[in-house]
Formats: sequence, structure tokens, C-alpha cells
Amino acid sequence: MMAWTWLARRILSGTIALLAVRTAAAQAPANRWQQPAAELAGQIAGILGPGQARLSVRNLSTIPADQVPAIQALLEQDLKAHGVQSSGMESASSIRVTLSENLREGLWVAEVIQGSETRVTMVQVEAGAPHAAAQAKSGLMLRKQLVMETKQPVLAALETQTALVAVEPEEITVLAKDTRGWHEAKDFDVGGKRALARDPRGVISADGNGDGFEAFVAGMECSGSFAGGAESALATCHESDDPWPVFPPVPEPGAAGNPASIKAFYNAARNYFTGVVTPAIGADLPPFYSAAVLPRPAGAALLIGGIDGKVQVLDAGALRTVSGTRDWGSDFAVLDSGCGAGNQVIATGSGEAAGDSLRAYELPAFDAVPASAPLAMDGTVTALWSAADRKSVMAAVRHASGDYEVDRVMALCD
Amino acid sequence: MLWRCATSFLLVSAALLAWGRTRPHYGGTLRVEIAEDPWQRPGGIARRLVLDGLTRADASGATQPALAVDWNSENQNHRWQFKLRPGVHFQDGSPLTPIAVVASLNTACPSNCPWSAIHAVGGSVIFTGDEPMPNLPGLLAGDEYLIALTITSEGKPPEGVIGTGPFQVSGFLNGVLTLAANENCWAGRPFAGTIEIRAHRAVRDQWLDWSVGRTDIVEVPPEQMRQAQQQRLNIVSSPPVTLLAVQIAESGSLESPLLRQSMALGIDRSALSNVIFQKQGEVTASLLPANLTGYSFLFPVERDLAKAQQLRGGITPPLLTLAAPGDATMQLAAQRIALNLREGGFNVQVTGDATQHVDLTLREFRLEGNQPQAALESIAGDAGLNPPPPGQGDMALFQSESEILGRYTLIPLLYLPRAFAVSGRVRDLRLNPDGSPDLADASLLDTARGDSSRGDAP
Repeated sequence: MMAWTWLARRILSGTIALLAVRTAAAQAPANRWQQPAAELAGQIAGILGPGQARLSVRNLSTIPADQVPAIQALLEQDLKAHGVQSSGMESASSIRVTLSENLREGLWVAEVIQGSETRVTMVQVEAGAPHAAAQAKSGLMLRKQLVMETKQPVLAALETQTALVAVEPEEITVLAKDTRGWHEAKDFDVGGKRALARDPRGVISADGNGDGFEAFVAGMECSGSFAGGAESALATCHESDDPWPVFPPVPEPGAAGNPASIKAFYNAARNYFTGVVTPAIGADLPPFYSAAVLPRPAGAALLIGGIDGKVQVLDAGALRTVSGTRDWGSDFAVLDSGCGAGNQVIATGSGEAAGDSLRAYELPAFDAVPASAPLAMDGTVTALWSAADRKSVMAAVRHASGDYEVDRVMALCD
Repeated sequence: MLWRCATSFLLVSAALLAWGRTRPHYGGTLRVEIAEDPWQRPGGIARRLVLDGLTRADASGATQPALAVDWNSENQNHRWQFKLRPGVHFQDGSPLTPIAVVASLNTACPSNCPWSAIHAVGGSVIFTGDEPMPNLPGLLAGDEYLIALTITSEGKPPEGVIGTGPFQVSGFLNGVLTLAANENCWAGRPFAGTIEIRAHRAVRDQWLDWSVGRTDIVEVPPEQMRQAQQQRLNIVSSPPVTLLAVQIAESGSLESPLLRQSMALGIDRSALSNVIFQKQGEVTASLLPANLTGYSFLFPVERDLAKAQQLRGGITPPLLTLAAPGDATMQLAAQRIALNLREGGFNVQVTGDATQHVDLTLREFRLEGNQPQAALESIAGDAGLNPPPPGQGDMALFQSESEILGRYTLIPLLYLPRAFAVSGRVRDLRLNPDGSPDLADASLLDTARGDSSRGDAP
């Protein structure tokens, strides 16, 4: 039922990547217009028949003006192939092509005028959105890669070598990778009797073997395995009010054994965590939207984004407010970039700016210091989480159209 | 024309993009003032807060599931099966059943419906039609077909409006309709705890209340958008959603299509837009706005008085009446149109009384969604015209629209946006495809902190 389309646009790196994007952008238009130009020319020729006609093209769409001559050339070429010679001279027939568009697609309309009679034909043109390359101007540079696109909201996702597991409000979808990227292999109903949430949230984490997962959405818990490959993945879900694993274990330098994950209780009727965590950490936490464990020289610190808008860090059993977070939104995640202090907090913007963005910050003490320029996103960031290896963060982004994409955001050391 | 459309989109996009960076908070009371009735059809602000449809239109115009989770057609679109979402309850606790849906739709549409018959079968609702119904899923997203409880579990008609939507009616006192959050809404509990809608409030009073912080959301009529912008009001504006058109009676002295065509050519749309609506309207000669179709430029909007007089052929019909129900702006617009028509050789008198027989009526048609074929069928239905022949694709749509316009009984003039001024405590306010504010997804900034006064504390 779901219309998944997956792309794996992996930009190579740094300058090469930017050059590749620019080259592709320059080459794309001519190829893109060939099919609709041929289709429209065929329809015009079907009305007009062989002969001469005066062709004019006007642009009422968002197609850049510098691409219109190329489109006109394609139309002339295709008309000629159908026996219609485009002539600049006065002709009994004329063809007026308008490059237009509507909410859903481009629309090229031809008015074929023969004497006093005007006949109309039109073709749809697939809408295409230009994607801007990531840019940064100081410190480390954030860069994003598109992992997948979907019609459904993605609340969280787990990417491994063999499978990509996407958590949606009502489904868990397992995707397999082939040469073209990720494609849907299996999906599982989350089920449950609870009403949907208006600001739905979810988490997913890998199991100890790395070939299974544990996922949570409001009131439901799912576990699954893709040990036999994504195509034969298994998953089961059941109702649960168990706490969610929102604080992944972070090994302490020199510490023995595997550190335990701290879990937090989620308010399934709202969009935040209650502040109650298990095991207890010796401090009362406020209700919060986001939390992360930030490795620091003196030991891992707990970072909390409260529903009151305050960002606080748990230090020596006491919560201390982090300054410099006025521009932060409600979501953040930690990235082990290896740049600068070694790790950064990637935070969403507060919404004061015109578009949504991500930005890296370092927290040397209790001040958030910007470590990158804002990275503009192609929509609204609806969820943000650290990848399993913490070398990147993943962002779910909702486009203005209502479609979603998941991006991987990495840092390049400057 | 397109740049204005693009501007509208930017405004809406800005609203869309504002969603979700700082997560929305729960609780608080959102105060709204409107000039109209909150329950009026179509477009009454309370309707989509309390009621849901089987389907809904998303921002791109695509039809999405709502109370129906799936649907399919058979027999060349003569039969449609809509499978209901399980586990949905009306606000009184009674379950949403196919029988309840059938009862609601039969009440909403007792005759001249897009379907011939409707039945409850298992967990589904079946629509059958004598004619193909290719656009039925899109039509069912319309305001007209929202699902309301018609019979309670005690077998009585409910007291007040009961639906499955995000808010439920909790009171009506001193002209204020109070809606409370539906905790068990299938689409999720809305963010605001309460909405207070003060209805039948004159726009100038709305603005006065807004300026002193007595309300959060007020209306900004198109002709006052410029003034509102100059006053730096925080405005959220929709794409063009209200069609202003003149409907011409096909009988009597205007029986001749040539006379009606002559009238269509004699109206100066640009002057109407510039003078009456302060350039906020999109001049149109098509029934659907440019952003929905992309081909509206094919219908010329220019006035051609010479051709109008030529088509009239020296015939001067007797005194014609032009009715303009509505506010003073509609009256002014009607006066302007009458002036244009007099210049074209027609003797037209404006009346505010639409109950008598009139030859012409200045009407507003509100787009309920942005699925173009469904929107065209809806306009044709509202105008009492035969629905256009069903078809798929842009060319079929253009042909349907051309056929309706070719009768010259409906003369499109302007497409107008809907706009609202929003206080600083409201965030994430988006507009529905019909231009109404989507209050279910709006939240309030000053409740952050959990709104303990309304039980929303963690």
C-alpha cells in the first residue's frame, strides 16, 4: 500500500561531491525535458499535420528562464521529426506553447491556431525539486545525504549493512539494499488500540547481535530480526508501557564490562517523556522532549531538552542550565565526529529563522558554542536521532508537500 | 497572476515550515472570532473540528484516508467500497459503524447525490451509482459529506453535533461556542485544550479584540489584507479558495446564450480586483484557480466591450436584477458589475434580496479541497448545473470546464484567498485546503510547560 521510493544519493566527499552535484545539476535539464517535449510535439503534429507553423514558447512556470531556449529547441526538433517545420515567417498556422504548472506537476499547454480555430493539447511534466548542497562556513562542516524518501512519517530508523528498519506510526518497514538503493522488503502492522498521536514519536535500537531490533511507538513495543536477511525479516508487536531506550549506553574510558542503557517512560498521550527513568540516576529529571548522553573528559554527561524549553545537563547529581541554546528546537542528538572536541550536539533550529536547519554545537562547560554553520534542510525536521555507530545523526524531514525523507547528517572536519 | 499565487504559497509554506522545530505543547484555550456561523456549510470553522470525512485532501490535493482506511472501485467506477477505520468512536462513546456512516450520508445528501445508493456491508460502506463515479474518494473529502452521529444508542437524535473529530462541543453561551479537546480522537488528541469561537462578530470588532489581546485568531477579508499588512498584523493567508462568480438564469430574458456571453465579455474583472478587492484577488475566467490546473490562462479575462455589444446584436433586454447576498463588499462589487453591464447595453438593478426571482446572482463558491476534478464537480453541483462528464487527466478536466463555461450561465470573476491574523501565542497554524484554519494542529506557546490548570501537567 505504501509508496516507497528509495534513493541512495551518496555524494563522494568534500569538493568532489559539490562539483558532482553542480555538474549533475547542469546536465539534468536537457535530459529532463526530452520526453515531455517529444510527447507534446507528437500531439501538436497530430492536430496540425505536416507543414509549416510559427512556434512561440512562453514560461509561466518555475522553470529557470535560461532553460526555455533549450526546451524550444527540443520542441522544434521534435516537430520537425513529425513533419512540422517551425518557421519564423508569417504562417497560416501558429503554435503557442505555454510552460505552466499546478500544485502537483508541470503542465505544458499547446494552443494550435489554424485560421479562426484554436485547438488545445497538453502534457504533464514531472515536478522536480532542486536539492541544495550542504554548506558551512566555519568550524566543522555538516553535510547531508538522502537515505530514503517516503509518503509516510518516519519516526525513527535503524540502518545496518543489510537492512534498514523504519518505524512509522502504524507500521514497521524493513528495507533491503540492492544496487539502486533501499527497497521495501517487508512491513509489519504495529497494531494496538491506542489512538494515533498528532505529534507521533518513536525510537529504535539494535539488539546485542546487530541483526535484530527493538522499537517503541506510543503504547506499543516491537521486536524483530533480520538475521536471515531483510526479505525474511520477522517482527512482532505488543501493547506496552515499558520505558524507551532513549539513552544509549556509552562506554566510559577504562570502565570494565558493558554499560547499561538508561530507559525513560514516555507519555503516550502526549509527545514527551515524563522524566521518570530507570534505573534511577540519583536526580529528578523534568519532563523532556529529548535527551542524549554526551561523552566528556570527566565522564558522560546527561543532556536534557525539557518541555519548558530549557536545556539542562546533569552534573554531579544536579541539573544545570546550558546557556546559548536559545536557538535550539526540541530535538538534538550527539555526533561522534572526531572533529574538534571529538563529539558535538546536533540540534534543530528553534523556528525563528525562515527555514528549518541543523547546527552542531560543542559544550565545553555549560555553554553551547556553535561549531558549524546551520545546515538548511529541505523541510521540517520531525525527528532526530544518533545513528547506531554515532558517526552520523539521522533526521526525518517532512517536505511542504507532506512527503518525508530521511537524511544522514555527517560532519567534515574543517 | 502566478506571482501572486506563489506569494500565497510562500505564506502557507512558511506556516507549514514553522511546524515541529520546537515541539508543540498541549493545553490552553485558543480564542477565535469569526463573522459567519461556525456550523455553516460549506466552510464553517467548527465543522472540521468536530466532524471527519471518510477521506481528506492533503496539501498537494491528493486524497488521503480519514475515517476510511482503504477504498476500491469496481464495475468501471459504478461501485465503490470504502473500508472503515476500526476502533473509531463518536465523541459520545458510541462506535463508528458502517450503518452510522450510511445514516449520516443519507441525512447530508437526501437527493441529487453523486451516488444512487449507499449500503453498509460488514466493515465497509458501499456506494453504487447509475453513472460512473471516478472522483468519489475526492468528493467524499468535501465539507458536505462529513460524518455526524444521527441516532444515539438510545435511538434518539443527538443533542448538538457529535462527530469523531479532534474537538467536541462542550457549550454555547453568550454567543461563544466552546469546544473541548477529544482525548480519544482517532487522529490524536489535539494540542489546544479548548477552543472558544465567538461567532457573528463584525470584522472591525474582531480586529479591536485582537488588538487588545482578547482573541488569538481573527479574519482578514481580502480587501483588508493590504491594510492588515500595513498594520504589521501577523497574517496567515491561503492560496485562492473562494471563487466570486456571477450566475445567470438560463430562462427568461437571458435565455439566449449570446446575450449571456455578451455579459461575460462586458465585465471588467481587473477593475473589480483593483478597486473593490485591493488587488488581493486573482482575476479569473476559469472555474478552477491557476494553481490547481495550470491552464487557466486559456480562458481570457480581458474585457471586450465591442465584442459584447456585437454579440448583443442590438437587443436590449428588459430591466434585469442582480442579487448580491452578503456584506457591503459584495454589494459594492455588484454595483460595479451592474455599471459594467450598463456600459454593455444591459439595464441592471442591484438588489440585496436573493429570495425573489433574480436574473443574475453574485455568488461565492468555496473550494473545499484541492483535488481539481472533485472541486469542479462541487462547484457545478453548488451552482445547480449538471455535473461535468467524468474524466481523468488534465485534458479531460479542461474539456469538462470548457463545457460548463461554454453555457455562459456561470461567469467566473475573481479567486480570493482567505486570511487570518494570528496572535503571537499561537504557533503552527496552518490552513486547510479550503482555507479554514487547522486548529487541531495549532498549539499555544504559553502553555508549555504543561498547562497544569487543564490537567495537562505531566
